[in-house]
Amino acid sequence: MKVQVKVIGYLIHQAGFGEKEVEISGPATADELLTILHIEKSLPKFLTRNGQGITPAEKLEDGDRVVIAPLYSGG
Amino acid sequence: MKGWTGNFIRINLTDRTYQKEPYSEEFAKKWVGGRGFALKILWDELKPGIDPLGPKNKLIVALGPISGAPAPNTGKAVVAAKSPITGGYGDGNLGTRVSIELRKAGYDAMIIEGKAEKPTYIYMQDDEVEFLSAEEVWGKGTYATNDWIYKKYGKSVGVLNIGQGGENMVSYAVVRSLEGRAGGRPGMGAVMGSKNLKAIVVKGSKEYPLAEPEEYKKRGTQDLKKVAEIDKKSGWSIQGTNGVLAWCNEVAALPVHNFRGTHHPDAWKVDGVRLNDARIATYGCPNCTMRCGITMHDAEGHESELDYENIGLLGPNLDIFDLPQVASLNWLCDEYGIDTMSSGCVLSFYADAIEQGAIDGDFKFGDAEKAKELLTLVAYRKGAVGSLLAEGTRKMARKIGKNSIAYAMQVKGLEVAAYNCKFVPGMALAFATSPIGGHHKEAWIITFELRESKRDSYGPEKAQKVIDLQRIRGGLFEYMPACRFPWIELGWGIENYPVYFQKATGLNWSLDDFWKVGDRIYALMKFFWAREFPNCNRTDDYPPAVWFDPANADTEGPIAGKVLDWDKYNELLDHFYRLRGWDERGIPTRKTARALDLAQEAADVEKFFKLK
Repeated sequence: MKVQVKVIGYLIHQAGFGEKEVEISGPATADELLTILHIEKSLPKFLTRNGQGITPAEKLEDGDRVVIAPLYSGG
Repeated sequence: MKGWTGNFIRINLTDRTYQKEPYSEEFAKKWVGGRGFALKILWDELKPGIDPLGPKNKLIVALGPISGAPAPNTGKAVVAAKSPITGGYGDGNLGTRVSIELRKAGYDAMIIEGKAEKPTYIYMQDDEVEFLSAEEVWGKGTYATNDWIYKKYGKSVGVLNIGQGGENMVSYAVVRSLEGRAGGRPGMGAVMGSKNLKAIVVKGSKEYPLAEPEEYKKRGTQDLKKVAEIDKKSGWSIQGTNGVLAWCNEVAALPVHNFRGTHHPDAWKVDGVRLNDARIATYGCPNCTMRCGITMHDAEGHESELDYENIGLLGPNLDIFDLPQVASLNWLCDEYGIDTMSSGCVLSFYADAIEQGAIDGDFKFGDAEKAKELLTLVAYRKGAVGSLLAEGTRKMARKIGKNSIAYAMQVKGLEVAAYNCKFVPGMALAFATSPIGGHHKEAWIITFELRESKRDSYGPEKAQKVIDLQRIRGGLFEYMPACRFPWIELGWGIENYPVYFQKATGLNWSLDDFWKVGDRIYALMKFFWAREFPNCNRTDDYPPAVWFDPANADTEGPIAGKVLDWDKYNELLDHFYRLRGWDERGIPTRKTARALDLAQEAADVEKFFKLK
C-alpha cells in the first residue's frame, strides 16, 4: 500500500525527508512505519492519520496521509 | 537551612537604600522560590488597588534553591509585580546570568521598591549596591544598553534591562536579558520603567549554599551532559521551538489573520526548516545544553533571535509569510523591549478592527512595513495610534467598542500565545485558567488532547490534565525555577528534579509535596485576583469569544465547520473548578485554602471578597 507521509521538526533529519509517498509491503501500523523510516522511537511522538491523532498501534490503510511529529511543549 | 541562602535584598530606589532581610526556613519550605517567593512577597506587601505603574508597586526578581547551580536547565529567574496589563499578579521567567550571580552574592530574591528620581541602574556586587546614572542610555534599546553595561563590567555579570517600551510604560513591555531573551510578558518591563530603573547588574563571589555540594555538582554536571547527548541524538536544536509551526499548521491550530484562520498554504515559508536554513548562530541560557535561540539576519540585516511564539504571532497571525520580515518585527520588539506575542496580537487585532469597520486606519494584514512603523509608535507611545496600541487588546477593545472585545485575543487582559483554539477545548481551558492571563507556559495540553483524548471532548480528563500540567509547568518549573524544555521536549524525567532539590536542600520531598506547593501558589494567585477585583467571576476564565462563533468556523480542512461550544465549555470549566476545590466563580473555597495551609491568606482576602 502507499501512504503519504509528512515528517515535522527534527524528525525530518532522522527520516531524511519532509514529505513523500511511502510504499509499504503488506499491512502496517504507525509504529512499523516509524521503523521503516528509521525514526528514533525512544522519544515521544505525535502521530496523525488523515488529520486525527492516533496511537502507534493504529493500522494504516492505503491512501492515508500520516504526519509524524515530535511531542512539543511550546516556545 | 541548606539550599536557600536565607536572605532577600530590599532595594529602595526613592531613598537609595538597601538592606539584607533574612527569611525563615518555614517560608522557604512553604513557597520554595521563584514564583512562590515573588507571589507571597507581593501578597504581603502590596495594598489592593495600588497603581501598577506607581511607586507603591514592587518589582521582584526571585530565584530558588537550585538556581544557578549546574543541573538541567537552572539558569532562570522570575520577574514579578502587580501587572499593568491585567491588574492582577503578573510574572515571567527568563534565562539570565542573574540566576547565578544573585545566588553567589548570597540572595534568593531582590525586592525593588519606590521610584528613582532620575534614570538609574543598580550595580550589585555581593552585599554592596550602588545606584548609578543611566541617563546616557535612557532612550536607547536593549541591545545598546546591554553593550554599554558589558563594556563597563565585562560579560561575567548578570544583566536585566529594559528598552524604550519599558521606559514609556507600554503595558506589555518585558524585561530583557541578552543571555536568554525576555521575560515578564504582563508588563514587568513597564513596572521597571515606571521606577526609572533602566538596568539591574549583579556580580557575586560566594559559594552556593548546597547541602551536598560535591554530590550535587557531580549529578548536575553528569545530567547536563546526558541532556546534551539526548538533544544531539534527537536533533531537537536543529529547529528549536519553531519545529512546532508546521505541526500547528497540520492540525489546524496555527494563528492566521488574527486567529480567524487555523492553517495556511504558505506556512512552510516560515517554518523550522526555513529558520534552520537561515541560521547564523544559536544561543542558550546559562546551564543549558539544548539551546533554542536561533538567530538569522532580518530584512534590515540585524541579527534577530526567533522562536515559535514570535514567528507564529508576528508572521502567519499577521498574514506575513516572509521570514526576514518576521525577523525584522521580532528584532524591533526585542530592541524596544516589548513582548513579541502581545505585539503580534495587538497588531492583528488592530488590522481586524479596521477590516471590520470598527475603527478607521490604514493598516492591513500582510503589510510588514506598516507593522514596523506601528511597533515604533507603540514603543514611544507616539500619537493617538501609538498610545492606543500600547495599552494591549483588552483596553483597545474597550475604547473601540462595537463588540470588538469578541476578537481581542486575550484572557484577563493578557494576549494569548500562538495556539489557535478554535476547536481545541482543553488548550482553550489552559489559556483561560492561566492565573496571569493568556499564557502558554502554565499548561500546554494541546498535544495530549489531540493524541490521547478526543478533540471534541469536554470531559474531566482534560480538566485534570490541565491541572497536572499546571502543577509541573506553572508550579515546579516556575518556583524552582528551571526551564521545562528538557522534560517535555527531550523526555528528561520529572523525577530528576526532587533529586536536585534533595542534594541542594537535604530535604526528601515526593512529587506530591511539590504538587501541593504548586496548588498553594495557584490558590494564592486567585486570591490576589479576588482581592483586586471583588466582582470577579467565572467569566474571567473564559477564552476569547470568537472561538465560539459559528461564523468564524473554518470552511475547509481538518476542523471545517467546528468551533467551541459555550455550554460544554462551561461544563469543562466546572470540572476544572471541582477538581481544584474552587467554587463556581473560580475562587478557592475556605476548605481548599485550609488544606493548602492558606488559612491566614483566606482570612485576609475575606476583607474584600466573601469566600465559600
